[in-house]
Amino acid sequence: MRAAPSRHEPHRQWRPLAVALVAGLGAVLTAPSSAAAHGFGGGRTDLPISKTLFIYAAALVLILSFVALAVLWPKPKLAQYRFVALPGLLSRVLLSRPLAVLCGAIGVFLLELTIYAGLTGVQTSSANFAPTFVYVIFWLGLVPVSVLFGDVFRAFNPWRAIGRAVAWIAQTAARGPIPAPLAYPERLGRWPAVAGIFAFAVLELVRSGGDAPDTVAIAALVYSAATFVGMALYGVEVWCERGEAFGVLFSLLAKISPVERRGDRLGLRPPLAGLAALEPQPGTVALIAVLIGSTSFDGAAESSLWTGLAPKIADGLESIGLSPEKALEGAFLIGLTATVALVYGFYRLGVAGAALVGDDLRAERLKGAFAHSLVPIVVAYVAAHYLSFLVFQGQAMWFLASNPLGEQGVDIFGTADRPIDYSVIGASFTQYAQVFFVLVGHVAALALAHDRALELYEQPKQAVLSQYWMLVVMVGFTTLALVLLLQSNV
Amino acid sequence: MSRQGRIGLLGLAAVIAVVVFVLARPEEGSDKADDPSRNAGQTTPAAGDDRPTATAESALPPPPTEIRLDGGEVQGGVQRIEAKAGSTARFVVISDASDDIHVHGYDIEKEAALGKPARFEIKTDLEGVFEIESHVAEDAGREPLIARLVVEPS
Repeated sequence: MRAAPSRHEPHRQWRPLAVALVAGLGAVLTAPSSAAAHGFGGGRTDLPISKTLFIYAAALVLILSFVALAVLWPKPKLAQYRFVALPGLLSRVLLSRPLAVLCGAIGVFLLELTIYAGLTGVQTSSANFAPTFVYVIFWLGLVPVSVLFGDVFRAFNPWRAIGRAVAWIAQTAARGPIPAPLAYPERLGRWPAVAGIFAFAVLELVRSGGDAPDTVAIAALVYSAATFVGMALYGVEVWCERGEAFGVLFSLLAKISPVERRGDRLGLRPPLAGLAALEPQPGTVALIAVLIGSTSFDGAAESSLWTGLAPKIADGLESIGLSPEKALEGAFLIGLTATVALVYGFYRLGVAGAALVGDDLRAERLKGAFAHSLVPIVVAYVAAHYLSFLVFQGQAMWFLASNPLGEQGVDIFGTADRPIDYSVIGASFTQYAQVFFVLVGHVAALALAHDRALELYEQPKQAVLSQYWMLVVMVGFTTLALVLLLQSNV
Repeated sequence: MSRQGRIGLLGLAAVIAVVVFVLARPEEGSDKADDPSRNAGQTTPAAGDDRPTATAESALPPPPTEIRLDGGEVQGGVQRIEAKAGSTARFVVISDASDDIHVHGYDIEKEAALGKPARFEIKTDLEGVFEIESHVAEDAGREPLIARLVVEPS
């Protein structure tokens, strides 16, 4: 993340909270923006990978793909996997009510601290708790946690915790369960989450000054309000599983994890197996397209292609009457939307190709059938693009935790002066790790798509034919990930 | 898939591996050959800088890269200073007004003023691309980025 691009904005105004709340999420896009400094992001970026490494990596992608096609298992394996329950005591402790209340309270505290620090703390994004916590610890840090340890965020989800607490109080008062006023429309699927994640991407990548502490806090308030409305209408758990964008996202990534919760038991499963059981609800492909698309756009925004194109689009928007700042934001919004649309279109192209294979499988059925195989690619994109950012900028938590508001002389834990150590990982390590994650994501995606094809098609020959199309999609996404690593801002 | 099909795919994979190995190897060599600065472990003049470079006294370190600020604008656009990790990056910021120059990551800040350039000699022990900014431009709401320090692994 390079947080919002820096622009020339001499003035800043303050917009009252109430107005922003009433105006809803739209306010995040239209509120007057603050001066965008480079500040957040620390001013360090990765070196592009070398051409040699790129060529070797791209070749490995092809080699792995062909070898995989030749040697992968001939019968579906992931659909039925073995669930090994963890010791009962461990499950009982980790899923106990007191621990759930404690985790929820921690989540609520962190959300409140983010809003409080964002609104009342110093308005320098790198010295305030809110931007780093939201963009680095929450948004990026929960990715590896979910992939390794399962749906940990569900326990800490502040909106779920508040919703459950309110529901508990209301039900105690009413002396009985209160049904949700509306049934969740099946057609809506994961679409509310798609909207939420896209809005987050707009705040992060499009809006000038999207990393300003007060903007982050207002966005958190607006998002909380929207979430509580959703919960009030459709029920707390239903909304958390379908509509609450971050809950939906992190539970999706957690399906890669070997840790699974079944009722009141925790257990282990083969990694990736959980993804094969993913319900292809409406909006799933779009959610994945937004994730891959926004990460790609963040990378591509550094490329000469975009830095050459953006001013032209902005000039065009200015000529139809937008202010220079809004025109540049408009250009970035067009760029982000176009990238997401391209990712979505490319996947649909692969599905359309696979549908040609026949066996009476319509594109409509296939559309969601391979969505789960893109989830490892999402993780590969995020890992490759944000690895060093997470490792370095995450260390800012040392001083931000000790001084969340960025005030003079505050040092709660004695770490307020601890600087970011930029020597923890070197440039070569970063580059090899980036390529490694991209390759692992590619192989995981291939394995998932292969398994699904074997399940869908009765004749192995058709399964293989359909796979060529999905292989093109995977190789396309993986190559794009590598090309983005080759891009440089220097 | 038939047995022949599988063997064919594995063969194809092997062919790609061999071709890429043969193609990529010379490039790795020429990469280093075309660019003597990569081995020199020293800063190279930024693009657009037409100062004479040290030739005869190759034993001495080359003169530092100059970055000129004119009314807060960096001449010739955002500059690039290259160095190998473990060497020393030398550059001078010459400004016609008082300014604070901040090298991110290394977190070094120096003052520059008319007739008093800010001289930097940085031991490059951190790898990556680091932004060099003018704090006066930042406070005035202008683009603060004046140069990037590019430290490649040695």
